[in-house]
Amino acid sequence: MAVSTRRLQKELAEIKNQGTPVGIQLLSAENFQEWHLSLEVLGDTVFAGEVFCLRFRFDNQYPISSPAVQFVVDDKWKAPTHPHVYTNGHICASILGNEWSPVLSVISVCVTLQSMLASCKKKELPPGNDRYVRHAPDNPKKTRFEYDDDTV
Amino acid sequence: MSSREPMWYCHECHAEMRPLMVPDPHCASCNGTFVEKLENPQDDPREFAHAHDGFDDDALPANMEGFLAGLRALLRPQEPEHTGRPTSPHAPQRGPPDGIGRLGSGGGNGLTIQIQGSPDGRSRTMIIGGGGARRDGPGQGNQPPLLSEFLRGPQGRQDGGPGIAGPLMAQYLLTMLSNRPGHGMSDFFPFMGMPEGAESGRWGDYVFNQEALDQIITQIMENSNAGRPVPATEEIMAKLPREVLEEGSPLLEKDCAICKDQFKADAEDEDERIVVTLPCKHPFHEPCIMPWLKSSGTCPVCRYQLVPQPEHGAPGPGPPRESSSGRPTGSSGSPPGVFPAASSSTPSSPTQRPASPGGSSHNRSGSNGGGSSLLSSLFGSFGRGHQRNGSGDSAHGESSNRGSGPRDHVPGGWSDPVD
Repeated sequence: MAVSTRRLQKELAEIKNQGTPVGIQLLSAENFQEWHLSLEVLGDTVFAGEVFCLRFRFDNQYPISSPAVQFVVDDKWKAPTHPHVYTNGHICASILGNEWSPVLSVISVCVTLQSMLASCKKKELPPGNDRYVRHAPDNPKKTRFEYDDDTV
Repeated sequence: MSSREPMWYCHECHAEMRPLMVPDPHCASCNGTFVEKLENPQDDPREFAHAHDGFDDDALPANMEGFLAGLRALLRPQEPEHTGRPTSPHAPQRGPPDGIGRLGSGGGNGLTIQIQGSPDGRSRTMIIGGGGARRDGPGQGNQPPLLSEFLRGPQGRQDGGPGIAGPLMAQYLLTMLSNRPGHGMSDFFPFMGMPEGAESGRWGDYVFNQEALDQIITQIMENSNAGRPVPATEEIMAKLPREVLEEGSPLLEKDCAICKDQFKADAEDEDERIVVTLPCKHPFHEPCIMPWLKSSGTCPVCRYQLVPQPEHGAPGPGPPRESSSGRPTGSSGSPPGVFPAASSSTPSSPTQRPASPGGSSHNRSGSNGGGSSLLSSLFGSFGRGHQRNGSGDSAHGESSNRGSGPRDHVPGGWSDPVD
């Protein structure tokens, strides 16, 4: 059994036993390659009333290798307008790249992203969004982001 | 080598010597590749050199515009010269009064460089690239800027003299070349390591349009390794303290933070009975922590660094787009102003520059020989201009060393600021 499977089974069991934090719901986890969760920012924020969908993709090195996490952008879902979120759903967040740690989990990533959205004061697209979206790889893990802004 | 072999003459250091022949003939004293065999007494390069010792000095020849006009004519063979200068260089009497070099498309026989070298009016002719048949690309609009446009700027003249600054010349030539449709360019400038994609706006490390810049940015986004975590060394990993779990161990109450399982002395997998404790005192199953340390030499819990890690969040101009100018976090910086396409490892990249621009196809010697070396040498001199002192290398020696290194840039040091 792949390491990732064992770990994800454990995370899934925990979600089912203990539930998910407020604003986060498991939408689908039918296999150990791809999960979907919904994300909502509660309280008085610029994203009040909006619900987003996060897509996690795992390879079988997870949790040694980070999951590929992005906001779903399709007919039903769209990405939040945020300086660290590109309109294709790719997210510039250090914990998804250089600062990933195998201690992190699906839920902890969701909580971090929820907090990233919650602290956003102004809906703005990232600089260079169009250029990035035009050429972005399918898998956001192939992008090397530079994390230089801890304020939003 | 037989002593009856003729001596060779080096146009770069003016030495007469027997050249080293591998991989290409090059000067035994300065390693320059612009060498010529002294086999024709009627055509002695030394005369030329003595008459024009200033040729490779920092000051550029006064009639460089004539040279450029000729080069333009060569590159755009089917277009009328709109500087009003004669397109054919074969008429010495119509050339600039103290002409040193003219370039032109010499009929169907490749590039002809005519150098009116001697005070007595004798000229020397060199022919490069005999084929000539590929110079049939259609002319296009998109005129390169005229030299006079470059000269108009205040930086155009350095010291009131008639020459133009080296970097400026480089810029001019580069712009001119980039505007060419691209047919046969690599025939003419094999030494430049001209990639196939030249017509798409890329030339070595340089790009000339938005699309090409986007391509490079994409490459960088996908390939850059800069800033990635540094793995722990085998030695560090081997020396980490290991403990085989036994009943009564205080570890048994703890979890492995990676797999989230509790430590068990009776684990099915024997490997999982081995616990590695990092210097920060955080314990992990050996099979859990080892793969992680191979990708990042840090503690997953507290980020304790077993090996120094690149700094994250170093001050930067902004998220991905800007940062993708690839400022490596390590020690090897890119030359300023150079898009570091060549520094990312993209073995399959179509823009990967061929190795050793000097190493291709100009093995000929004699009066027709060294043609591309000549151009290369010229470009080298022009580009480096006033920055040559000190290094001791000949300009061409530099350019022939480029192309394979990770930091290579277009010969002539375009990245040098225009002063």
